[in-house]
This record gives sequence, C-alpha cells and structure tokens, in this order.
Amino acid sequence: MTYIPSADDLEVITREVWTSFLDGDPAGLLSGSDGVGAERVTGCVHLSGAYTGSIMLACSAPAARDAAAALFSMQPDAVTQTEVIDAIGELANMVGGNVKSMLPGPSALSLPAVVHGQLAVPGAQMVREVHLTWRSEPLVISLWQQAAQAA
Amino acid sequence: MVIDDSSAMRLILGRIMRGLGFDVVEAPNGAEAIARLQSGSMPEIALVDWNMPVMDGLAFVNAVRKEEKWRQITLMMVTTESEQSQIVRALAAGAHEYVIKPFTPDAIADKLALLGVLAY
Repeated sequence: MTYIPSADDLEVITREVWTSFLDGDPAGLLSGSDGVGAERVTGCVHLSGAYTGSIMLACSAPAARDAAAALFSMQPDAVTQTEVIDAIGELANMVGGNVKSMLPGPSALSLPAVVHGQLAVPGAQMVREVHLTWRSEPLVISLWQQAAQAA
Repeated sequence: MVIDDSSAMRLILGRIMRGLGFDVVEAPNGAEAIARLQSGSMPEIALVDWNMPVMDGLAFVNAVRKEEKWRQITLMMVTTESEQSQIVRALAAGAHEYVIKPFTPDAIADKLALLGVLAY
C-alpha cells in the first residue's frame, strides 16, 4: 500500500516554505479558503518513478504577485510577470520537493511549470488537497497521482 | 558562486552570502557556472541547486570534480531534492555538504562553518 502524505502534511510543508521565505510568521498562513477563482496562477512539478504524479500550487493573481514581491524584496506594484513566474515556480519546487521526500522513491522531480490559469494533468487524479489563505487571498496545494498507479 | 535557475533563490542566497562577507557571482545553471570557472573565476565555495535546465547540479559537481584545477572549490548542494538516495549520490559525486530547501540563513551559516569556510 502506497503511503500518500495527508492534507495536514501538505499544509505543514507549505507553512514551512512560507515561513522561511515569505512571512517569517507561521500565523501568516491560515487554514481554509473558499477556493481559487479563475484568475489564478498555477505552479506545478511532476514526479516520475516509484510515484508518478504532480504537486500543484494554485493561488490568486494578487497572492502570486505578493509572493513574488516578498521573495524579491520588492513592492508588489513593481513586480513583473517574469518575477511572478520565477517565484511561483520556485515555491512549487520547494513544496513539491518536500512532498516527494514523503512519497515512495526513487522518483525524478521535474523543473517547475507555471501558467496563468488552471493546469490539467492528463490521466491523473487528485489524491490530496489543502486550502489555505494568505493575506486574505486563497492558496490551494494539491497532490495528483497517475491513474494507473492510483488504481 | 550561487548556481540556481531561480533568480529569486539566487537573490536570497546571494544576500545571505554577502551578509557573511563573501563576494558573490551567480549562474542560472551548471553550464554557465562551468563557463565562469573556465573564464578564470575561482570561487571558494559554490552553492549548487540540483534541478536546473541545461546542466543540473549533479552534472556540475561531476564536471568540477573531474578537473584537478577546481579541486579546492567547496561544493554545497542547496536543493529541494531530499530523498536519501539523492543526497548519497551528490555526496558520492563530490559535494561536501547538503542543505534542503527551505532553509534559514542560520542553517547556511552553520553549514559553512562546518565546512571551515566561515569563521565564527
């Protein structure tokens, strides 16, 4: 039986990344949200090997801009799309890499992909999801598994 | 030398290293880092991400360790790759230390002190 990290595990990992690089305040990231709307930024890393699937980080556009501003130590209104893509990619990479360490190995971790909007993973099903709120904006972390492995 | 494909991460690590008294050069992947070394840059230490385009961190470590003239460069992986088997691979290839992201500035400083490249 494959161990799949729990939603709590995803939250703990995300909280550690956020505390280390964005806020320095564990209370800055709140549990729960109403979900991310259509105006979203999604970062994703793929795993292939003993576990094949994806880890996605989706947040509202304002949250993505604020995250980039925090990482680059800039004012939010000075952040460019390049910086948003870099920041969300690196955050997805850090969350994904730490989730990977809890999954069966060995697996290879892809470079992050970042899109404005929703990202679909063909043939994969979501196995875990956690909803969070940062600076009053929604953030969702989800773990996906290739259907053939999930069966 | 800070080698990471994320410019945000290069900025964060560069700031930490400057704060510890190092001059910092950056590269967005292993190939550009090798090019800098070939052009005469000789860093005391390289902080190396694993997953990068063009040339990843493990390939960079292997390339550096093949060259006698670069033997004195201390190599520290700073990466999200946290599987035990990956850590063993990097250390076996010649990396001296391994830091898993996310990290704190103190964690970087502590590792540098352990490596003897930072005097407390």
